[in-house]
Amino acid sequence: MAELSTRPLRLTINGQAVGPVEVPDDLMMIDFLHEYQGLTGSRLGCGQGICRACVVILDHDDGTSEEMRICITGAHFFNGKRIRTIEGHAERGDDGDIVALNPIQRKFVDHFAFQCSYCAPGFVNAATVLVERLEREPVARADLEATIDRALGHHICRCTGYVRYYQAAKSAIEELGLVKEG
Amino acid sequence: MRRLLIGILLVPGLTTQAADDDSLIERGRYLARTADCAACHTAEGGAPFAGGVPIASPFGTIYGTNITPDPDYGIGEYSADDFYHALTEGETPSGRQLYPAMPYTSYHLMRREDADAIYAFLMSREPIARAAPETDLSFPYNQRWGVAFWNLIYADALEPDASSSQSSAWQRGQYLVEAMGHCGECHTPRSWTGAMDLDRHLEGGSLAGYRAPSLEAEALADRGWNRDDLAHFLKHGMSPQGSVFNEMFPVMHHSTQYLTDEDLSAMATYLLGDTPPEARRIEPRPLEALSDSARRGRQSYLDTCAGCHGGDGQGKPQVAVAMSGNTTLRLEDPTNLLRVMLDGIEARDFPGFARMQEMPGFAAHLSDDELADLGNYLRETWGGRPGDIAPGDVANLREHNAHAAP
Repeated sequence: MAELSTRPLRLTINGQAVGPVEVPDDLMMIDFLHEYQGLTGSRLGCGQGICRACVVILDHDDGTSEEMRICITGAHFFNGKRIRTIEGHAERGDDGDIVALNPIQRKFVDHFAFQCSYCAPGFVNAATVLVERLEREPVARADLEATIDRALGHHICRCTGYVRYYQAAKSAIEELGLVKEG
Repeated sequence: MRRLLIGILLVPGLTTQAADDDSLIERGRYLARTADCAACHTAEGGAPFAGGVPIASPFGTIYGTNITPDPDYGIGEYSADDFYHALTEGETPSGRQLYPAMPYTSYHLMRREDADAIYAFLMSREPIARAAPETDLSFPYNQRWGVAFWNLIYADALEPDASSSQSSAWQRGQYLVEAMGHCGECHTPRSWTGAMDLDRHLEGGSLAGYRAPSLEAEALADRGWNRDDLAHFLKHGMSPQGSVFNEMFPVMHHSTQYLTDEDLSAMATYLLGDTPPEARRIEPRPLEALSDSARRGRQSYLDTCAGCHGGDGQGKPQVAVAMSGNTTLRLEDPTNLLRVMLDGIEARDFPGFARMQEMPGFAAHLSDDELADLGNYLRETWGGRPGDIAPGDVANLREHNAHAAP
């Protein structure tokens, strides 16, 4: 093994500037969030980029967003970048406590989409990325099902709660007015 | 009574005849595997041998034809003579020239009895009354008379090696590699006319933006291949040198995984020679000995590759191949490495419930500079190659990909 070599990392997490922090060159992002930031909501599942329980949102300067699998992506990949984690979605009061869920979280709760909830952070982040994409370009009614399937279909839920995840995402997309009728 | 007696006397004869037919068909089934007919004539999800596989050529897309015994859409009206003629001369019974995507330049070397066995096998399949898509080539490549002219120059050029100083395994391997497997069709460079440049036989060709590497013994050994690993690679699609990807995957999937160990060993013997050159071992080069570019590339490796390929390039079973010992990193031409880094590799199932998961492409996440540095890190550390990839090389491949044929 190579000796533990570190370098400074600076990034924005949930709107908050973080760092510079000295971080080992080869630390995975999920370990950085868990061990350095105390943000334990992102879940380590397969550790090989398949299950997507670890997915966070990477925000680009052009206003687009995308999913990133942080169990296989190093912390330093995110140097200078902006990410959102599952902890960043709900509205919080001055004391930091959650006062209101965001509309996507709300829909997931309303549809009882979470069972054991281990995969939920990845599903919520994926649904958020999908909603943000549809806000830029709404989806035709005929393509709605396939669009949700493409966006969430790679995520694995061992409780097999897929139907409810699908229903929650569909309901959120419809209620936010992102479906083009006709 | 007399009739009964004749009947009894006839039965053993009939049974023997049926058994002969069965064994001929079975032989044909195996030989069709060795010739990889399915690669072009069985579409993904389609009926076996009913055609429809799109074959990208520099001149346009050619579609594999229906070779089931259907009289209208397939080869049902072919006699064994017709079949042999089409296979080895590239001409149908009606005198139509086949496009040389049909590797008759290699099948030219096929033995008549083997062609007959394949014929018997194909004729025993279910006829599928379905037309394969029409090939639509641009002028002048849509001119079939041009193909006849092409044949005039090239089709007789490949001759079997009559040398008897080689082992029987070598000779069997030669037949499997050259005639049946038609390996040279991809692994031999092609001239502007589209014909194989036979002066550079098996020196490596190009296919859909990738390089089909050299299969010359010295080149294989230089890239770390020995006989056992090469045979194992063809059987299982995986070996310490890496896993099959791109256009070689279907070759393993449809053909080589079904070959006997003896035949695969014979192919490896032919390619590496009866006295193979020693496979080159490469010790990983330490960080201190790397170029500036490669040192910069190390951080990209840790950020985007190490999660699956391992911090020390050791790989993960069923997930991602090892970088240490990887044959692609050793190619002088970095095209395949860069293509894979840009485009990724789709998830694949391998024989025996093995699999390799999807490798994501990094075209959107890494810049030309970062990909060049990363490629140099990989090649210098594990490939025994200089870090000579320039950002412009990456940019060229991106550009090429943007204009690649579908």
